[in-house]
Amino acid sequence: MKAALPRLSAKTALPLLLLLALLLLPSAGLSPNLVRILFITYVWTITSVAWNLVGGFTGQVSFGFAVFYGLGAYTAGLMINAGGSPYLGFIEAAAIAALASFFVGLPSFRLRGPYFAIATIGLTEAIRVIMSNLKITGGASGLSIIEHRQFRQVEHYYTALVAVALAVLVSMLIAGSRFGLALRAIKQDEDAAASLGVNPYQSKLWVHAIAAALTGVAGALHARYAVFIDPSGGPGGVFAFQTGISILLMPVIGGIGTVWGPVLGGVVFGIVEEELVVNFPNVHLLLYGILLILIILLEPGGLAGLLQKAFRLMRRPVGHSES
Amino acid sequence: MDILKVESLTKYFGGVAALKDVSFEIPENRICGFIGPNGAGKTTLFSLITGAVQPSKGRVQLRDRDVTRMSPSALVKMGIARTHQIVRPFRAMTVLENVQLAVHFGRQSVVSTSHAKEKAMESLKLVHLDHKSRLLASVLSLGEQKRLEVARAVATSPDLLLLDEVCGGLSASETAAMLDLIQQIRARGTTIMYVEHDMKAVMSVCDRITVLNFGQKLAEGKPEDIQKNDAVIEAYLGKSSLGGGPNARKSSEAQESSTGNPT
Repeated sequence: MKAALPRLSAKTALPLLLLLALLLLPSAGLSPNLVRILFITYVWTITSVAWNLVGGFTGQVSFGFAVFYGLGAYTAGLMINAGGSPYLGFIEAAAIAALASFFVGLPSFRLRGPYFAIATIGLTEAIRVIMSNLKITGGASGLSIIEHRQFRQVEHYYTALVAVALAVLVSMLIAGSRFGLALRAIKQDEDAAASLGVNPYQSKLWVHAIAAALTGVAGALHARYAVFIDPSGGPGGVFAFQTGISILLMPVIGGIGTVWGPVLGGVVFGIVEEELVVNFPNVHLLLYGILLILIILLEPGGLAGLLQKAFRLMRRPVGHSES
Repeated sequence: MDILKVESLTKYFGGVAALKDVSFEIPENRICGFIGPNGAGKTTLFSLITGAVQPSKGRVQLRDRDVTRMSPSALVKMGIARTHQIVRPFRAMTVLENVQLAVHFGRQSVVSTSHAKEKAMESLKLVHLDHKSRLLASVLSLGEQKRLEVARAVATSPDLLLLDEVCGGLSASETAAMLDLIQQIRARGTTIMYVEHDMKAVMSVCDRITVLNFGQKLAEGKPEDIQKNDAVIEAYLGKSSLGGGPNARKSSEAQESSTGNPT
């Protein structure tokens, strides 16, 4: 359709411009600490965008994304330690995480109500306990990752940037596809969707697997950069329940069910988390709690919803009355 | 030739038989009405045929193929579509998207978005909602939502369309338009099973009527014969019924509401 072309280019031009700017950033002479913060922000944003596919588009709330994050981290860690290419490790991390998603999805997506959410909590705890006791992964004392290459921060930066761009692209493609339309229908009324030919069970399984794969890559990126991972339940542990909560928090803060809301949430979370945790080790959780309550009460659309409202307000006086 | 054959279809909810040993055939390209008091099992029957509810016993055959216990989405792909008695639009989607989804995932499984939109617009034109295609489904009136429900079902390209009280709650003029629409859909080659409480409506469009009572088949035949049938008059129509809808039997209402589609 010719009419759709200009709208499409406007929608893709901005993200491409942003990507270009981020590609050029390291050559602008950023401090290593700033590059580190950006790297961490990209990693979080991947998980945020991934969670939104399941929780935002499809309406299936998961508390268990730490499982995919952790499995991705451990898979990549073990593969790198075995002498493999880290990039191959990322792909293997995605595959293992996607495989794990079926363990939660196959039994629980058939059921209605909160069963999926509850199953994700159970799985998180089960995997954490298993990983804390598994000998080959170093058990509770964690896993050191030894890569026989020179550490180049810029390489990590670009890998993460490509990964986050890929995650956003996947999210955009799904949102604009018939699959995305089916997911939105499932979110609103599963039975009505089924009565129009959508297979809710399969759709949920697939979107969950895609999200898990992306989250696995995020875990792998983190593991390779951090050089040491542990499964502990406390902050920093890749299988920690809190990690799963953080992943859920970002899209909610940013704006659930949209393409750019979770990106915004991830960026805000990544930057704020890094600054807050360093300066106020315990206050950040309280702050998230307050922020979450405010968003749920005042603006369920999250930051993206707030921005949209602000834009509309700015436009109105100029005389663009769209109805 | 018969498009659908139902044999001894039975459904128990707990100890209550919502439908018991019901058998019938639906001839191709006819409009077949299903009437009966509330709780007679009409909606349960529709839910069983479309796979939303699994039968306790019995068989459903679509053109000699056993389709019992198939999932709703698989049955749509086989050519069976339904509307819901209580409208279920996707409120956060536009009217067009509601129908587009049905084109994408219906029997033709259209992949191309632009082609699906075109087909969806055809369905919307049929129900005279094309001018509202860009509105959110939540802003439509009840009559429009009923038409959207029909447009979505038609957009799946069914051979057999099950309409569940599409005239319920509509004004007289809206009802007339809906009945006209039903005949247009049949003229396109679709067979229709039609549940309705409005006797005038049912009698005017149906080629054949099946009467259900307490989950069992009470009578079957042409509209004029059904109107004269003593058992039907006794159970449902009443002595001077043709002026309006029959009185609901409150005691049996709970039975139908347990099907998940309360009246």
